[in-house]
Amino acid sequence: MTAISQAQKESTGQVQPRRQRRELSDRAILNLFIWPTLILLIAWNLFPLIYSLFLSFTDYSAIANKAPTWVGFQNYADILSDPQMWKYFATTGRYALVTVGMQTILGFSLAVLVQEKFKGSGLVTTLILVPMMLSPVVVGMFWKLMYNPSFGYFNFLLGFRNPSTAPEMLAGRFAGQPVPNLALWAVALVDIWMWTPFVMLLVLSGLKAIPDYLYEAAVIDRASSWFQFWRITVPQVMPLLMIAILFRTIEAFKSFDLVMGLTGGGPGDQTELIAVNLYRQAFLGQWRTGRASALAYIILIVIIAISNLYIRYLNQAKED
Amino acid sequence: MSDFYETGPSKPVTESIRVDKVSPRSRRIHSLRAIVVIALAIFLLIPIFIMAMTAFKTRSDVVSSPPKTVFEPTLEGFVFLFTERAIITPGRITKLQEAAESGDLGLFDRIALKSGQEITGPSDYVTRLKNSLIIAGVSTLLSVILGFFAAYAFSRFNVPGKDDLMFFILSTRMLPAVVVTIPLFLMYRQLGLHDTHIGMILLYTVFNLSLAVWLLKGFIDEIPTEYEEAALVDGYTRMQAIRKIVLPQAMTGIAATAVFCLIFAWNEYAFALMLTSNTARTAPPSIATMLGRGGIEWSAIAAGSLGFLIPVVIVVFLLRDYLLRGVTFGAVRK
Amino acid sequence: MATIELRDVEKIFGDNHAVKPMNLTIKDGEFICLLGPSGCGKTTTLRMISGLEAVTSGTILLDGRNVTWRHPSDRDIAFVFQLYALYPHMTVRDNISFPLRAEGMKREEIDIRIGEVVDILRIHHLLKYKPGKLSGGDQQRVALARALVRRPSAFLMDEPLGALDAELRETMRAEIKALHHAQNATTVYVTHDQIEAMALSDRIVVMSAAEVQQVGTPAEVYYEPANLFVARFIGSPGMNLIDGQLDGDLIRFPGNDSTMAVPAHFRVPLLAALDKGDDVVVGFRPEAAAISDDSTMAGEVYAVDMHGGYKLLHVNLGTATDPVIVHLRADRLASHPMGSSLRFTADPAMLRFFDPKTGRAISPSETAPVQTQPVEVTA
Repeated sequence: MTAISQAQKESTGQVQPRRQRRELSDRAILNLFIWPTLILLIAWNLFPLIYSLFLSFTDYSAIANKAPTWVGFQNYADILSDPQMWKYFATTGRYALVTVGMQTILGFSLAVLVQEKFKGSGLVTTLILVPMMLSPVVVGMFWKLMYNPSFGYFNFLLGFRNPSTAPEMLAGRFAGQPVPNLALWAVALVDIWMWTPFVMLLVLSGLKAIPDYLYEAAVIDRASSWFQFWRITVPQVMPLLMIAILFRTIEAFKSFDLVMGLTGGGPGDQTELIAVNLYRQAFLGQWRTGRASALAYIILIVIIAISNLYIRYLNQAKED
Repeated sequence: MSDFYETGPSKPVTESIRVDKVSPRSRRIHSLRAIVVIALAIFLLIPIFIMAMTAFKTRSDVVSSPPKTVFEPTLEGFVFLFTERAIITPGRITKLQEAAESGDLGLFDRIALKSGQEITGPSDYVTRLKNSLIIAGVSTLLSVILGFFAAYAFSRFNVPGKDDLMFFILSTRMLPAVVVTIPLFLMYRQLGLHDTHIGMILLYTVFNLSLAVWLLKGFIDEIPTEYEEAALVDGYTRMQAIRKIVLPQAMTGIAATAVFCLIFAWNEYAFALMLTSNTARTAPPSIATMLGRGGIEWSAIAAGSLGFLIPVVIVVFLLRDYLLRGVTFGAVRK
Repeated sequence: MATIELRDVEKIFGDNHAVKPMNLTIKDGEFICLLGPSGCGKTTTLRMISGLEAVTSGTILLDGRNVTWRHPSDRDIAFVFQLYALYPHMTVRDNISFPLRAEGMKREEIDIRIGEVVDILRIHHLLKYKPGKLSGGDQQRVALARALVRRPSAFLMDEPLGALDAELRETMRAEIKALHHAQNATTVYVTHDQIEAMALSDRIVVMSAAEVQQVGTPAEVYYEPANLFVARFIGSPGMNLIDGQLDGDLIRFPGNDSTMAVPAHFRVPLLAALDKGDDVVVGFRPEAAAISDDSTMAGEVYAVDMHGGYKLLHVNLGTATDPVIVHLRADRLASHPMGSSLRFTADPAMLRFFDPKTGRAISPSETAPVQTQPVEVTA
């Protein structure tokens, strides 16, 4: 710092203009700093978004050597009138409801338990967070091993010692008989295992942000622990809990990695979540690019609708 | 209990704590809570323990029913993971047996003898892991650099339409990968970026950019502007001020951001599956496809998963204090 | 209403003694201020009385009942926090009714109680808002209402006006005083602002370095500080303290050649406490000085502060290299240019003497009459 200011003092007017010419103006720096990021985001996100909107109105297939033909709302109409598609959406909805619901309850309880510090609580909290940091597809792989009916630990730990009378979680069978949706709940369990820590982390940050003096005031006001929990803790944590629920709901509609690692959509279409089906339509064998684009847009609209509900809630909370 | 209200706790209180929290009942509840939390943490980690265990089992131990908890650990899984093997010819077996008797048999040879297979070269997994390292490493570097500059501009300059731009940047992260994959696939095919390192690096860079900008803006916002202003007054150029003043102070934030970008790029599966086939394929899709090939080598899969998870676990542990802001896009401060 | 008694109450944080063993009895209906610089242990003391902080040792009695280890909610006290501690997600009405709802009071009764306190504090118009929309003063009124609505036997207030600007602080100070006058509830009030303490309290507990320095009425701590800390801390500026040496009935000021006669009512106590030639600290308030040309204490004007109603002179009694600065109050119209010399005397009734070894004040003898004649100081 001193070297520069001294140099400036020693050199008189001659140096100053040259320095100014070399020096970028703040305006130029601003553009230089922002545009690379914006251009990349536009090229890799905005452009594909618009391109896929266009494709969704065509019958384009990525492997056919044929220019796309405009078909209007045909793809959308096909998807929305296909009972199979509604089934996939319903499966996804059920999956979202169960996973997000359980994650919310378990994550909230865990956060309440973990929030008070004890010796080693930092380490324990970190260990609880490990599942969400893992690669979903890898998690899917080793849970597949866990679920294996003959040598997996899952049935073993549940107390089923004889493979022939034990549930085959991923095959959706129990004692040889098919059980509807057992596979879906098996996948959901892994999702819950993996992402409950995420909800816990968000709720925990909400709990930690509640100032101590509110509880002190409540204690002075002779509120019982129960009264404090419902009147202070819950309302104060609500916004962050809602963020967690929103993120997880969106993720459920994007859910792909875990299912691919565990079941690939099977058995039959029991675990065919909408994002898995999208992949199947877009790439695997079918290559129905136009129709898949339309489906992607429908998913996007669902996600935007969910986000909107949340934003409306948040704004309302701000209003009051 | 009434005793406590008369005489207080047995040990004098020398910490800042509310009266009711030092009662024997509160202390008991507190310890009970700690025990429950520790038990829950262990319970949650059971699948990871089991996977680690499986990685060290032999092929026959893995598929024993009921599953074995006590077994003789081997490195077979790891060897299988990293190598391509062929069935050993009978002539070679006799040769190895002779060597075993004379006592000079290497680790690999011993495993080869035991399993009846011989190593013929490194497996695909090595290439995949190398790809993962290159792609995740370079893209992280790029996201952090670009993100830092953009974050600095958003933090310090009066950018027109700042809030809208920041929202646009955030919204790209919320975009489901499936929506953009199809056009990106077509775009990459057209541009010759399909199944190339550069294509994947750019893709992950862009996907991490939004997170990087948001996180870094939060960190830079916390650095007082006075230091830079003082430097500017002292005759520094803006770039010098950034390099000498902002950069050193933002280092922890940069480290935290880098870790998040790295974890994402390291774990990413969907894009890698759809936009690579061979040359640039990373580890996650290849671990998944291991299932498809021949007899399922569970110990190799477990070994592969374990090797793949350990770096992440270490990094998570080292930077646990920053996790919070990472997952909430910096929306939550401490 | 209640009495509060602290017996050897002490708090240790790790290796740090936050409050050294402290004894204090607060009478029913009394307004007590705990006054001291930050970190002196005054807030910790208040929190121990409330139960928000557990004592390390000692006993706290409320109305004669030992509450040392009782839950804060068993103590029937209300606490007003510095940052108000209003529940941000509740309306003002819900905030005020919170303690009543917590104990399960009936709706109609809650409405009546709210009506009462809202009248007292004149905050009807705020009931439907959330605290975030309110000004600092209104938030503090709501916090007071929440404390009042319970009709507790004692109020504990932790710098309740600390976060307000100067003008509002003065208004709220008057409101708190009027409130106490009307309710006459025992109140313990923590502040670092001596003007607040002077204006509000029946008695002031001056604290410093985890210890009680003096307990007394505002007049006592101002005119009869118990030790050098209180003398310096109370008043702005604090008491003038000049080092001297005792020489019989005279006090000599080294480096100044001045002497001062010891006032009659201090002669015996001074000789009893000190030996000849011992150091002694002479103290007097700026307003105890009278400036006149025929006086014998001399100094040079070092700086002049205009305070509106009067001028505060900084006068150097020492030399330029070894200055001894005292503050004197002068008429607002009097002209005392910087660098000019002046002479003054100090009212003997307002003179104080301290033993520099212990820092404690030497009390005047009660039998000797208080001398009111100006003390002869000879240069």
